Amino acid sequence: MSVNQLSEDAFYNLIDDLNSKGTTVVAPVRNEVGMVQYEKVTSSKDNFAFDEVIGRYSPKDAFFPQHETVLRYREGENGVEVKAEEPEINDTVLLGIRPCDAAAMISLNKVFTWDYIDNLFTERRKKAVIISIACNEADESCYCTSVGFAPDGKEGSDLLFSKIKGGGYLAEALTDEGETFIANNSTCFSKKDKSVELEPIAEVTDLGVNIEHIKRWLDKKENFEHKVWDDLAAKCVGCGGCTFVCPTCHCFDLVDEPYGDQGKRVKNWDGCQFDHFTLHASGHNPREHQPQRWRNRFHCKFKIYPDRFEKKGCVGCGRCIRVCPVNLDITEAMIEITAMES
Amino acid sequence: MIKYEQKALLNNPYLPLSCRIVASTVQTDDTMLFKVRFEDDRDVEAFDHKPGQFVQLSVMGTGECPISIASSPTRHGTIDLCIRKAGRVTEAFHNLGQNAVFGMRGPYGNGYPVEVMEGNNLLIVAGGLGMAPLRSLLWYALDHRHRFKDIILMYGTKNQHDFLFKGELLSLINRNDIKTLLAVAEDIDGSWTGEVGLVTDLFDHAELDAGNTFAAICGPPVMYKYVIEKLLEKGFSKGRILMSLERKMKCGIGKCVHCSVGFKYTCIDGPIFTYWDAINMREII
Repeated sequence: MSVNQLSEDAFYNLIDDLNSKGTTVVAPVRNEVGMVQYEKVTSSKDNFAFDEVIGRYSPKDAFFPQHETVLRYREGENGVEVKAEEPEINDTVLLGIRPCDAAAMISLNKVFTWDYIDNLFTERRKKAVIISIACNEADESCYCTSVGFAPDGKEGSDLLFSKIKGGGYLAEALTDEGETFIANNSTCFSKKDKSVELEPIAEVTDLGVNIEHIKRWLDKKENFEHKVWDDLAAKCVGCGGCTFVCPTCHCFDLVDEPYGDQGKRVKNWDGCQFDHFTLHASGHNPREHQPQRWRNRFHCKFKIYPDRFEKKGCVGCGRCIRVCPVNLDITEAMIEITAMES
Repeated sequence: MIKYEQKALLNNPYLPLSCRIVASTVQTDDTMLFKVRFEDDRDVEAFDHKPGQFVQLSVMGTGECPISIASSPTRHGTIDLCIRKAGRVTEAFHNLGQNAVFGMRGPYGNGYPVEVMEGNNLLIVAGGLGMAPLRSLLWYALDHRHRFKDIILMYGTKNQHDFLFKGELLSLINRNDIKTLLAVAEDIDGSWTGEVGLVTDLFDHAELDAGNTFAAICGPPVMYKYVIEKLLEKGFSKGRILMSLERKMKCGIGKCVHCSVGFKYTCIDGPIFTYWDAINMREII
């Protein structure tokens, strides 16, 4: 695979070039309240935040939108007409997401393609090129290296950009799609300069945890009722914020939204932290208490994803820690369980 | 008439097919048996299910819910759905009325492992609404009677008013190729001529050859514990006890995670689980 480079100017020209070709460009931008989000950008003059440690929400929204119409219906004289939604799926470039989020896309892809295929996800993924930018900075919530990833990790990206000292990026193609992307936008890229020196990669705090040990501990049946769940999750208020910002969380609901005699069925993000998530129509709820729901999420990340999909369920982006209103920190559980299993 | 435009660019897995209610009969105060048929004959032809599978029923503007198929695949052409008014969708479905059109997708789930069960005795133990998915298995076995050895049906309800498929099941008493044991927990008006007691009491009236029998059970959560105790007492191995379980479901195709129990998805790996599976799955009921 080829290694090229692009100057600071070429980087922003790339955004304009892609837009002029009709490609959708999604990149980190700072909104009016200072929050960084991955959004569609239309010109190189946008309020970019490529240097921000990480966006508030993950970029999973690009393939798995928070609200997505799956069908529309209309009650007419001859009954109800139902029409499958046919979203216009444009060629898309995710520019400047972080390596942890790119890695999470592999896990998400597995969920939406095992057994039945959710074409709404796969069609979007097929039309997208993922360009990650290696992290030069990490914050106190980042822990990618503790779960087997790296601030300059290559999993899930088509191209990895690394910041060059003095400006510009080194562009490493990681897939055929990445190579094609460079070929199609060759005016922005130049041959790698031999003397190129990269900005130092971020140093991420090592939690000293071992995810194999965590998995082994979770595999032991008796630990399902361990008091650690109640101890750690007692303060969880069930807001579900962690599930919405998580790049690998993929629970959703299918909800009808009627407006008079017509309406639509929408696939909305849902979260296993909500009390109604497993509530039967009969009133019976197999996960009645909040610690049970928190335990489920922890299992999903460190046991269910590996067991079912042979993928990692947690990429260490740290968003669930940053967003939690009661400072419930998943790494505390990881540290405590590692200690018990060692 | 619903017109479904199916020529979507994407093969949208969430799109239901158009279906019509062709008959309905009152079962109890809140439960009806609906006979339904796809509007398009090609869909009728293509629909092939196993006993124990379910469908996602769709009332536009209200939503979807999973419903067990209550008819046997041996009776091709129409599909029976026994539906209790339990939530918004089932309530709306009850209100659709005769000949109404609605949406349906499926069949989903694993169904009973009938190929493995054939050649054995079959014990069906049902409680209340649990008879609905088991009715599919019951008639599959009766329609392929030579493929099974002895068939025993045990069915219990709270009282005679809650008894489902009454005429049909009572008529089985006269058949000599199936042992039919029926019970009500409470005989509210003295009209019940059969056993008064719990479904577990019916075990006293049956001789079971545990090593050559598959037991298929379905009922309210509380029933499983006691029926399983009985079966284990009678020497059933855990792999020969088949439970039909329910979870809240949304997509039915192993994506939305509502029905997951550990790494198992009730909509894909279930809803039929052996007791052996169940003891290894926490929070299953």
